[in-house]
Amino acid sequence: MDELIGILQSVCPGVDFETEKDLVEDGILTSLDIVMIVSELMSAYDVQIDVDDLVPENFASAETICELVNRAREK
Amino acid sequence: MSITSFAFAGFAALLAVVYRVLPQRVRWWALLAASVIFYAAGGPAAAAYMAVTAVTTYFAALLLQRENDRRAAMDGEQRRSSKRSHDRRRHLVTGAACAVNFGMLFAIKYWDFVSESLAFLRLPALGLVVPMGISFYIFQSIGYVADVSRGKTAAERSFPRYLLFVCFFPQMVQGPIDRFEHLAPQLFAGRRPDTDEVRDGIQLMMWGYFKKLVIASRAGTVVGAVYANAGAYPGCASVFAVLMYTIELYCDFSGGIDIVRGTAGLFGINMAENFRRPIFSLSLAEFWRRWHMTLGGWMRDYVFYPLSLSKPFAALGRFSRKHLSGKLGRILPTSLATFIVYFIIGIWHGANLTFLAYGLYNGAIITSSILLAPFYTRVKKALKVNESGGLYRAFCIVRTSLVVFVGRYLTRAPWLKMSLVMLKRSVFDLRLRELPGVVTGLGMSFFDLALVAAGCAVVLAAEYIEERGVGIRAYLAKRGAFVQWLAIAVPLAVILIFGVISAGSGAGEFIYGRI
Repeated sequence: MDELIGILQSVCPGVDFETEKDLVEDGILTSLDIVMIVSELMSAYDVQIDVDDLVPENFASAETICELVNRAREK
Repeated sequence: MSITSFAFAGFAALLAVVYRVLPQRVRWWALLAASVIFYAAGGPAAAAYMAVTAVTTYFAALLLQRENDRRAAMDGEQRRSSKRSHDRRRHLVTGAACAVNFGMLFAIKYWDFVSESLAFLRLPALGLVVPMGISFYIFQSIGYVADVSRGKTAAERSFPRYLLFVCFFPQMVQGPIDRFEHLAPQLFAGRRPDTDEVRDGIQLMMWGYFKKLVIASRAGTVVGAVYANAGAYPGCASVFAVLMYTIELYCDFSGGIDIVRGTAGLFGINMAENFRRPIFSLSLAEFWRRWHMTLGGWMRDYVFYPLSLSKPFAALGRFSRKHLSGKLGRILPTSLATFIVYFIIGIWHGANLTFLAYGLYNGAIITSSILLAPFYTRVKKALKVNESGGLYRAFCIVRTSLVVFVGRYLTRAPWLKMSLVMLKRSVFDLRLRELPGVVTGLGMSFFDLALVAAGCAVVLAAEYIEERGVGIRAYLAKRGAFVQWLAIAVPLAVILIFGVISAGSGAGEFIYGRI
């Protein structure tokens, strides 16, 4: 999780990924941030994240993003 | 039938009464019948285009649903091995629906512009009339097909029910571009709205009529005169005309959407929000998240995301990471996708070089702001800027307003050259002292100017209050019945006196209704 949070903070430096639980609904992450996060995750973990996965629920917090990466790894 | 006419008010009121008395299970039929009558009044060609969209997207969604159901019935191993062929079939059906509908939209809206621009190819002009709301219902229907393809929404089996989703009459004028999962259940539920919902709907309609009839139609009277003969006026006339156009456009579009959403409220239907006080945007990107939100959301989900994660963009990402150092290498593909999206948004607004330039203008500013973000961060750090401070936020709001204002020079002029001439004069040939004479010469009385200013002050004040987190209608709802109905009677009187008896021009038309 620490590694993931490090990646997320390198993409969105001002965001508190450790405590925020509703990153999209609260307007903290924009669509641009989401795409940059996904690009970074695909590169870092060598996984494929589909466009169908780009829904607010998957980017609500560091935990949901972690679950998304884990699901992508299992594919 | 214009939604600012008494005929429309009567139509909506009669339908609202019929809707209430009908049994719940047949109420949606009343909405469908009214919607078909409303749209068929636009002529047989308009109805035929609508039928093409409704039929093709209906069958495309059914095919996609069958494909998704077939895959859902497979076991884990089968599903994994068939993913590629499943995706291919999904993309084929979705692509065919897009080709038919966007092809039709292209032929109706853009073909003549292309044939005129590429005159050397001697392509014949089609001379087709753009029917009301075609860009809106095609985008809404294609969004539905994409959602079914992604398994986000189940396909609607009943064609009449699906047709209602496509042609629900309030959205036919200028959107919003709603989603099936949000709008359709409300349309089909046939729920009888309570008094509060009806009152809220009427209040929202009144607010929309106020913005449209009292402010927009009045501000718009001088705009056409300046654009018709821009060369004869000094720069101050251009600035004044573009300012009036900016006011007109906002009050026209957001007012129209308020009327539409208020009308839907008479049937207990909550349509998608399309504006969230864009005047308070801190950046151009934020402005586009608050202005015409349903188009922005559509572009995000069906263009920006798929484009950013497509194979060519993934390859570009790998290339840029390898060959470009630092953040630039990481964000180049996203920046390019952003640029393309804003370019498409520009040409969505119309077939003209001015809209191409408008798309490029927005795309270039937003893309450069992404690419230059590290530089801006360093500058703000060096200047010790407090980003959460009121002063910095005010600076950002003024800066964004100026950027939007300059963009408006591009969207109203019939030719790009005229936009640029007006922009040049606004900077190098302002002649501000001539402004009072120019305004009088344009036929705008002091009374009209004062009314536009007062109207804007009311709109700004209301939006400021809501921006601070106070819901005005929620506040009114807690007051007594007298205050609540007064909140309808007073705007109604203002609209009748200043918007109907003493009306501006173009009260029956909407700028976005021509898109």
